[in-house]
Amino acid sequence: MKRIVVLGSLKIDRAQKGQHARPNSRYPIPKLFLRREASLLQRQFAVLALFSSGLSAQTARVDFQREIRPILSENCFQCHGPDSAARQAGLRLDHHDAALAVIAPGKSASSVLFQRISSTDSGFHMPPAYSRRALTPAQIALIKRWIDEGAAWKDHWAFQPPAQPKPPSVANPAWVRNPIDRFILAALESKGLSPAPAADPRTLIRRVALSLTGLPPKPSEVEAFLADTAPGAYERMVDRYLASPHYGEQRAHFWLDAVRYADTNGYHFDNYREIWPYRDWVIAAYNRNLSFKQFTIEQIAGDLLPNSTLDQKIATGFQRCSETTNEGGIIEDEYAEIYAKDRADTFGAVFLGLTVGCAACHDHKFDPISQKDYYSLGAFFRNTPQRIMDGNASDQAPFVIVPREQDRTRWAEIESRRQAIAGEMAHARDAAAVPFSAWERAQLTAAPSPLGPAIYTADLNALSFSAEGITLAEAPIAGHRALYFTKAGGATETKPPKVDSENPFSIAVTFLSPKSDNYNLASHQNTKDKNRGWVLDVSNRLASFRLIGDNGDAIEIRAALDQIPPTTWNVIVASYDGSRVQSGLDLYLNGRAIPTQGRNNPFTKLNGAINVDDPLILGKSLADGAISKLDILSNAVTESEARAYNDGAAGYFLLREFAPYRALAAEDEKLSKEAKEIAKQAATTPVMQERASETPFAHVLFRGAYDQPRERVEANTPAVLPPMSPSLPRNRLGLAQWLFAPDQPLTARATVNRMWQEIFGVGLVKSADDFGSQGEPPSNPQLLDWLAVNFEKSGWDVKRFYRQLLLSAAYRQSAVATPLKLKIDPENRLLSRGPRFRMDAEMIRDYVLAASSLLAPQIGGPSVKPYQPDGIWESVAMLSSNTRFYKQDSGPGLYRRSLYTLWKRAAPPASLEILNAPSRESCTVRRERTNTPLQALVTMNDVQFIEAARALAESAMESGMTFTSRLSYMSSRILMRPLTAAEQGIARHAYDDFIRYYDAHPDDARKLLNDGERKGDPGLPAADFAALSMLANQFFNLDEVLNQ
Amino acid sequence: MNLTRNLLLPDEDGHYAPESLAIDRARARAIALGHHPIDSIAREMAVNETRRRFFSRAARGLGAVALASIASENARASTGIQPAFGGLPDLPNFTPKAKRCLYFHLVGAPPQMETFDYKPKMAEMFDKDLPESIRNGQRLTTMTSGQMRFPIAPSIFKFAQYGKSGAWISELLPYTAKMVDDLAIIRSMHTEAINHEPALTFFQTGQMVAGRPCIGAWLSYGLGSMNQSLPTFVVLQANHKLPKANVQAISARMWSAGFLGGKYAGVSLRSSGDPVLFLNNPDGVPTEVRRRMLDSLAQMNQIEYERLGDPETRTRIAQYEMAFRMQSSAPELTDLSKEPDSVFATYGEDSRTPGSFAQSCLMARRLAERGVRFVQVYHRGWDVHGDLPEVLSSQCKEIDQPLYALIGDLKQRGMLDDTLVILAGEFGRTVYCQGKLTETNYGRDHHPRCFSLWMAGGGVKGGVVHGETDDFSYNITKDPVHVRDFHATILHLFGIDHEHFTYQYQGLDVRLTGVEKAEVVRRILT
Repeated sequence: MKRIVVLGSLKIDRAQKGQHARPNSRYPIPKLFLRREASLLQRQFAVLALFSSGLSAQTARVDFQREIRPILSENCFQCHGPDSAARQAGLRLDHHDAALAVIAPGKSASSVLFQRISSTDSGFHMPPAYSRRALTPAQIALIKRWIDEGAAWKDHWAFQPPAQPKPPSVANPAWVRNPIDRFILAALESKGLSPAPAADPRTLIRRVALSLTGLPPKPSEVEAFLADTAPGAYERMVDRYLASPHYGEQRAHFWLDAVRYADTNGYHFDNYREIWPYRDWVIAAYNRNLSFKQFTIEQIAGDLLPNSTLDQKIATGFQRCSETTNEGGIIEDEYAEIYAKDRADTFGAVFLGLTVGCAACHDHKFDPISQKDYYSLGAFFRNTPQRIMDGNASDQAPFVIVPREQDRTRWAEIESRRQAIAGEMAHARDAAAVPFSAWERAQLTAAPSPLGPAIYTADLNALSFSAEGITLAEAPIAGHRALYFTKAGGATETKPPKVDSENPFSIAVTFLSPKSDNYNLASHQNTKDKNRGWVLDVSNRLASFRLIGDNGDAIEIRAALDQIPPTTWNVIVASYDGSRVQSGLDLYLNGRAIPTQGRNNPFTKLNGAINVDDPLILGKSLADGAISKLDILSNAVTESEARAYNDGAAGYFLLREFAPYRALAAEDEKLSKEAKEIAKQAATTPVMQERASETPFAHVLFRGAYDQPRERVEANTPAVLPPMSPSLPRNRLGLAQWLFAPDQPLTARATVNRMWQEIFGVGLVKSADDFGSQGEPPSNPQLLDWLAVNFEKSGWDVKRFYRQLLLSAAYRQSAVATPLKLKIDPENRLLSRGPRFRMDAEMIRDYVLAASSLLAPQIGGPSVKPYQPDGIWESVAMLSSNTRFYKQDSGPGLYRRSLYTLWKRAAPPASLEILNAPSRESCTVRRERTNTPLQALVTMNDVQFIEAARALAESAMESGMTFTSRLSYMSSRILMRPLTAAEQGIARHAYDDFIRYYDAHPDDARKLLNDGERKGDPGLPAADFAALSMLANQFFNLDEVLNQ
Repeated sequence: MNLTRNLLLPDEDGHYAPESLAIDRARARAIALGHHPIDSIAREMAVNETRRRFFSRAARGLGAVALASIASENARASTGIQPAFGGLPDLPNFTPKAKRCLYFHLVGAPPQMETFDYKPKMAEMFDKDLPESIRNGQRLTTMTSGQMRFPIAPSIFKFAQYGKSGAWISELLPYTAKMVDDLAIIRSMHTEAINHEPALTFFQTGQMVAGRPCIGAWLSYGLGSMNQSLPTFVVLQANHKLPKANVQAISARMWSAGFLGGKYAGVSLRSSGDPVLFLNNPDGVPTEVRRRMLDSLAQMNQIEYERLGDPETRTRIAQYEMAFRMQSSAPELTDLSKEPDSVFATYGEDSRTPGSFAQSCLMARRLAERGVRFVQVYHRGWDVHGDLPEVLSSQCKEIDQPLYALIGDLKQRGMLDDTLVILAGEFGRTVYCQGKLTETNYGRDHHPRCFSLWMAGGGVKGGVVHGETDDFSYNITKDPVHVRDFHATILHLFGIDHEHFTYQYQGLDVRLTGVEKAEVVRRILT
């Protein structure tokens, strides 16, 4: 009997250690465990005797799921588990039928499993010494007992669809407020524990406000709640916070960890990435209580929904939050793998609670996820036109333009009208066939260019070039001869036209693309002046147009997605409107405006002149290609002009001579101009897009190596989970819908567990990202399943779910811990008391901003740069990175909620990072929560906290004349409660000492009052003000404040 | 966690065992205020002083207490008696040779053939193509994979043999040449990554993709801290001088603790502003006011603790005291005014400039003296794709004398024997030229197949040259040392068997040296 209790405690204890368990300590540690548990045991027995219940649990049969499988997983699965390649002796112990080969139910003595684990013969003993795994005597005894009891087997809990268990009956039903409480109370009662009394109303409203909005309640809200004595006051208070727009912000900060949201690209240059519209989508989605199902589907596959809206496209930013690189020299296949793995890992951790990435190099060691499963899952995310090299762009394609709210309607109107015009233009073209023939017959000379008069047209005969590298020959375009380049070097124009940066100009080139992916079409530059001038070239088959001014600083536009196939004839028109900014550049490929990167890059501007005295060079590195035409024009070119240029004489006729078409083109141009103006004010945000030409696939990679592809696999879901219905498309949309199939065991569990974790501090499954065999089993499996089914049945209603948690008696308990509870329920996993845990980094900062009324209320928008010590970015950044220098904001940017702080991955916001905010480099569904001296330094000394303390002191001084009234003002804002007499005494004494110091040191008082941007009111008595500020600083550092 | 520990003391995480609460309240209070090793200040406060008297002496008295305890730590440091706080109970596995490590990483990767890997035969090969048999289909970065040819660029720098060991050293490193008998030079390093970001991450963490703990974090986790007032693992970023040097990015992921947890991550010691982020009190808040605020805070937190009984509250009280100690000891650390002029002369005049490599060397020594376990110094500007002669001359000059001074300084203080010093880059460079090759100018691309580094002190044998490469410094011909072997060797010097030093993450026993075989480079050990 004693032994069993020991084992029970042992189990809990090791589980609590979670990832702190040290495998290499396996030999010595378990003995220590036993020794210590034995001594604890005696106390525990006394306790159990006192409470007299729960003893029956000691005689219960061994629970395979909870007690046996973890032992097998930990010690046996590496060699006898799911990984077929590593499997020894053909034996697997993760599978019932296979395991029966070594287990004789009811007969431990004749079970090979037991014989081997209990053998003293080192050659026969399992696990073998080299594995450095070992079972404790207690574990061996447990397995023996399990076999003798019949070796009952259940497949791993997480892969079984949750059944909705009936809430258990309890001894004290009066405590129960909703079904959650029955599960909690039953567990407590079985341990001989009883719940804590309800928390007082002030504690409760603070807890609710923090849980739901991440902000402390305002004093007026506290008073209103206290004054509401009618039944349902608590529910009404909860509902008020659920309706707050800050609710979405609070929810979002958790979700942004999971989706690894950040404002930079991550690797190498770590340049700015504009993706905040996605962040705002998340906030809004929570606020409008989008069902979790729709929330998920839109983020995984919003672009694939029929008639998808702009918002649904923005939602797919979920998958564009991943890190990207532009490091020169990288091998693209390698990074294609890294990107796909990141997406599969994130999907697995968030929606399945599985560590699928473990199967990248070999079958998963512990969970039934094969390597093939992993690559099949990754295939869903690989069918994207996204380039591997991100171009260090803020708007890496594919992206959408997100107009300001006030422009949205007009934007949509323009878009639909332009689509209609395109149709009407096609009709007009058809109608123009006959008049065009007549007009063409009447022309005596070749039709002029529809682009307007060229200031320069390359005379191919006159260009100087080395004869051996270039030949002049007939091009397969009527009326054109072309320069065919056989070598690099190009043809030189010694008297090129001069264009300048002040005025518009355009370059139009008709060319035959070479076999290579990188080539130069035309350039007019001074290499001795940091390449001042302009250049039109192609890299990675993507056209780019660059204007270089002073110091080599350039504005550049680069085709985002439209690659130019090798050995084809094409027309590129590059246009510049004279505005010196990137948005003034346009690229047209074969008569079509193409999506480009870098439009609204706020970091670059063209300074100085671009006209140079050097020659213009055509086809500098165009070996195997040809140029048949190059025009330079003195105007910016519109899309209809570019289209007409591409169509030659017919184009000219349509655009200039044929009235019906001309009118349409004029309207289109007007709309396009208007759209451009809107786009200048708009944001861009990266989105997902499917490569239309392909169905998703991937190759299994030998040991995960990018250059060792093996079997080709189609996109598919892991075999251990219910298969995708044949009616679902085999793409991201099908994948998203599969998550919500009725028999899906993981989606709901993983989701309710994360939501639980947000509210109670720890998930029912502590390893929120690992529901697999090495994860921690749920602390209350029935409750987890009940919540999962309940959530699903509610239509995945998120607000309803949180409301349900907050209405439970379990949530409303006081956080008082008794020695008994600390012993039996040390981590509060059973909820023997109310939740109490340190707030997340963002909440701590937001808390002081709110309490001091500094908080800027704006929701959403571009990320901001609040206070940060100097040099944090600079010390890690590349010299040319546009996030090298941190230019701190002024005014409201300093006081926005922390989820709006610009998140640079290579150097995350310093004070937040110290308080355990993740770097956002990869998916995080569970933050660590440490308690360190560096954190104390932040909340004591960060100028943000000092300024908040002072702002609070200032308003306290304005609120009343006496110290007592000021103190109570401060405590009502920081603690939401009056201070006790003892606390008042402590505060008073400290204040007296502070003021004595500052009376004697007025200079120091002045310095303290001037720290930060917002200076203290100089009209207030300085010593008093400084002393009160220090007291506020002290209050902000209270354990009570830092905990929610 | 060592469960035989006294329940009245916090564990290495600073957490108190919940069981300790079973003890009656009065005793619990005594524990909170008295028994934590860093609670001496708080005990002082509670036991000896009335509030007013206390405050009046706070500036002198308590400050003095704090400083006295730091001084005694320093004394311990100098006598080498440094108990560890935290760390795993079963480590080290055997008697360590090294107690601390000063690791200088040259970000961007210096060329081995200009520094330690002398290739005389290349002189005749100027502008000749690298034979295909040597290149042997090795993958290239996309920066040179498009080059039409691979012309050999012999080093223009002269080499000579030095010391008893007769090691060949380039004229770029005259001071290093004087200390070759203290160094173990490995010329046969090789790695798997070909670009900076992944190569650096690999060198620091044993994996190319971010998320794994770096060497310093592993050592902090495994061996704990040797001091109570400074971080265990400190990172310094040294500025390079030549503006045109090609700079590569570094990021916090290089000193992250990955799954081991944030408290094992490297803490940046900065050369301007607060030496440790947020360390300094705001202007107008002197130590005595902060001390008074902390006392008052501790009293209120104690009330909170008595009200709710959450052990974390006591941890918090302790951490604020630790923060205060850090505030007191960091200025002493970074105040170089007491270093004699002779020291600056030895390290070079640059050592007076905050943020210089030379000052980082001096600071590294001071950190080592004060019981910091692992000091990581990053120096950027080594990515010599072009203008190699000019850039490399400048870079080498910056590091040469200070490193020589550091080794001498450590020796003189009797610390070299148990201080491991490392100089390395993340990979090597190609013998063929990148860009235009002339008699006086050239550049080199990345080369993962061989490169050089040196280690000294802390159980490393001096005067050893380990490993050989072919005439082109392209392939290793003898004694290859993989980055994993390098990691295994570091751990070995710290008394750790790298195969046993694991951490369970996602079900797997993860180790610094990864899943493939890694071997300690025994030839370089004393």
